[in-house]
Amino acid sequence: MSSETAPGATTNGSVIHDIGFRHYEGARLGRGWAFRSLLVETIRGSFGIGRPAKVKAMPMVLLGFMTATAIIADAVTILTKADSPSMPYTQFAMNMWLLIAMFVAGRAPYAVSRDLRDGVLPLYLSRPLKRGDYVWAKLAGVSIATFLFIAVPLTLLLVGSLLAKLDAAHEIWTWSGSVLMAAVLAVLLSTLSLAVASFTKRRGFGVAAIMTLVVMAAAFAAIVVNVVNFKVSQAAGAYFSAFDPFALVDALGSSWLGVEPVVAERHPVGFLGGFVLTSVLVALVVLGITVLMRRFKKVGGV
Amino acid sequence: MTAIELAGVSRWFGNVVAVNDVTMTIGPGVTGLLGPNGAGKTTLLSMMSGFLPPSSGTVTLDGAPVWRHPEAYRRIGLVPEAEAMYDGMTAWDFVYANAQLHLLPDPGAATKRALESVDMMGPRDRVVGTFSKGMKQRVKMATALVHQPDVLLLDEPFNGMDPRQRLHLLDLLQELGAAGTVVLFSSHILEEVEDVAGTIEVVVAGRQAASGDFRSIRRLMTERPHQYTISSSDNRSLAAAIISDGSADAVTITPSSLEVQASDFGRFVHALPRLALASKISLDEVTPADESLESVFSYLVSR
Amino acid sequence: MATISTQSLTRTFGPVVALSDLTVDMPSGVVGLVGANGAGKSTLIKILLGLLPPSSGTASILGYDCLTDGLAIREVVGYMPESECLPLDVSATEFLVHMARISGLSAHAARERAADTLRHVGLYEERYRPIGGYSTGMKQRVKLAQALVHDPKLVFLDEPTNGLDPAGRDEMLSLISRVSHDFGIDVLVTSHLLGELERIADHIVVIESGVLQRSTSTADATQLSGAVLVEVTDRTDDAVARLTKRGANVALGNRPGTFAVELTDEAVPTWVVEVAAELEVGLVRMQRRRHRLTEIFTSDATGEEAARV
Repeated sequence: MSSETAPGATTNGSVIHDIGFRHYEGARLGRGWAFRSLLVETIRGSFGIGRPAKVKAMPMVLLGFMTATAIIADAVTILTKADSPSMPYTQFAMNMWLLIAMFVAGRAPYAVSRDLRDGVLPLYLSRPLKRGDYVWAKLAGVSIATFLFIAVPLTLLLVGSLLAKLDAAHEIWTWSGSVLMAAVLAVLLSTLSLAVASFTKRRGFGVAAIMTLVVMAAAFAAIVVNVVNFKVSQAAGAYFSAFDPFALVDALGSSWLGVEPVVAERHPVGFLGGFVLTSVLVALVVLGITVLMRRFKKVGGV
Repeated sequence: MTAIELAGVSRWFGNVVAVNDVTMTIGPGVTGLLGPNGAGKTTLLSMMSGFLPPSSGTVTLDGAPVWRHPEAYRRIGLVPEAEAMYDGMTAWDFVYANAQLHLLPDPGAATKRALESVDMMGPRDRVVGTFSKGMKQRVKMATALVHQPDVLLLDEPFNGMDPRQRLHLLDLLQELGAAGTVVLFSSHILEEVEDVAGTIEVVVAGRQAASGDFRSIRRLMTERPHQYTISSSDNRSLAAAIISDGSADAVTITPSSLEVQASDFGRFVHALPRLALASKISLDEVTPADESLESVFSYLVSR
Repeated sequence: MATISTQSLTRTFGPVVALSDLTVDMPSGVVGLVGANGAGKSTLIKILLGLLPPSSGTASILGYDCLTDGLAIREVVGYMPESECLPLDVSATEFLVHMARISGLSAHAARERAADTLRHVGLYEERYRPIGGYSTGMKQRVKLAQALVHDPKLVFLDEPTNGLDPAGRDEMLSLISRVSHDFGIDVLVTSHLLGELERIADHIVVIESGVLQRSTSTADATQLSGAVLVEVTDRTDDAVARLTKRGANVALGNRPGTFAVELTDEAVPTWVVEVAAELEVGLVRMQRRRHRLTEIFTSDATGEEAARV
């Protein structure tokens, strides 16, 4: 660093300031902060915050539909002076499954395929972050974003119910159960979607692949469950709902929290069923995380 | 004498004029094609190798047009910039296939010769997908050489190669040039071009900025005074002598040397020894400061 | 204390030996790394960044042990990759702020340093536009900026002039010199272009096929050799004859008008000037010849080199 005169030297009040390179003597906040920053950036990116309008469009439109649905349901509840919410919390996620799937299908590739295509990983790896941290941050980021996507409209539903003067304690209780299951659904969908997205650098492929898988899973599960229900028993049929993430979470919700499953054909599962399905849930999430970790170990070398 | 001739050649893509009224003749020996990014070098090479027709003007090889004339392709070898290759083939197979496509009578011998000249016989049975960038470049060169073309066109051929490979291949180009092949290679690495190219062609934004031996080009730039750096036993006195002699436009004294600007190059270099002896000043170093290809190029680009 | 130091560093991947028994000390300033092919170079960088353990041997950087202090190293080191690594749909400012934060800077410091660093690398209004629209030169500057934004003690620059035209290369090389001399940051730069390294590097390390070939200061490798290169306007043969008569050892050069005279006597430069004046020819050049880095790679060639002016 050099300057023509000593920095700050004055001659009759005139000064030349040194605007050369400044060294940083401040705190270096380390891995935790780095992780947090990446996490926050992923969540912001999922909603297009701080990004050009083109990126905001899809998630915001989808979010708009979600909230609009919630508001309309609230309006119905309030105006008809119903004594129970016009759209129960448990039904909300199941009814909106397509929108939720579209959200995750869009956000997961945006979080991961872009980085793969741009080749940014070496820049992250050369910073105080471990490779695993990157994966966890993306996972947590998309999961939290998806969770918010479902939970915010759910909360709007609660607000509506409270405004309609329904029994507050009951409403809050059922609402919190749904929020919990929303979290579980968010984590499950995000993990699997990110795992799929990590195989392609092209966002479009990722989105298409995830949507196809989700829709196919739903269809497949529906068919199989029906067949098994018919041929074997409804109890057995309930197990096969595991093929569809939405149905799986629905069944688990009924198993853990004792509420009615939303879809009529899905008979509530007993203790054994609950145990098996919970294991399936855990296995799927672990599988997704493992695949993600493996993929990022392989690619993005420095 | 083999030569590629461009006469009034222009090439446009919609409103984008990539090459604008260029006339040049590339003869035997090594010629460097220089220009900033986006100047039209790749387009020129594409037209010379028959991949693209000119929008106007003619591109001919020994009088016959190149575009849509397969006989011309037999005599031209092209090393393009693009990296895409058949990653699943081995080096040998890839070059051999090229030899076969050229309908060579003995593709095996031709392949061996080509791979030897680029020093890729060792890894010849390895799959191209496993190669480093430099190795891929050498395979590309082998495919361009396998049919022993009269004309060799290369677009940034040494990208990714380490110094040893570069030196080796620059020598190869020099040998080919000396043997009468028309070698035209585009490069941003001016020190290499300086070493092997006898003539240069400079294009700027699609226009031909200059052509010929770069030192002669420098002499032609009369609007730019030549710069000299001199160190001697008494810089100040020498400066005074030069100024009163009148052979220089300006003299600058720096802590370690004397910087001279002289429009009349000839007059100054003749006067210098005489002045030094007359003033009894001994000269340590006399260096032309802007005679390098680098300087000439930057002057051409900024006109 | 050496900035980067390795002891018998070896790394293999199955049958492939990327680095073999590498023992080298790299001083502060600008160190040029040459000759390493892809595997060796990227392996070395990964090991130095603490991302890959060696198969055997040790490496340390700025006093940190590469094997155990990876996170600490990555807080104070910057890396400019050779490959494409920039997100195309965000602006340089956004990108740099994000990277600064991941390097451990607070939000406030990240914003300030991002703005400052972009100025230092020469990006002005462009910084607000998405990176996708930048030229190669501008992209390289962004890559450099993200390596510098957190004020590292040392930066790895991997082929920083790749894809740049002569003007762009010149600017990048000047920038790299500034990083070392003005900003006070140590630099390890890899390049295949010896001319560049002669210009900016203080020290050169040559690694071929994973094995250390040379580690030398640039000054030593480009020492003045014992000869003077001369170029005259005409009457070259006469000039050579007269110098030879005075007892000088003269060899003709590649180009017309050039020759090299061995400095067997202090008075040789004076002889040259006298001969030029006698013959009334112009003296275009009289320059001490220096050794060049390319000699490291042509050392297996026999004979002396002809005068290369």
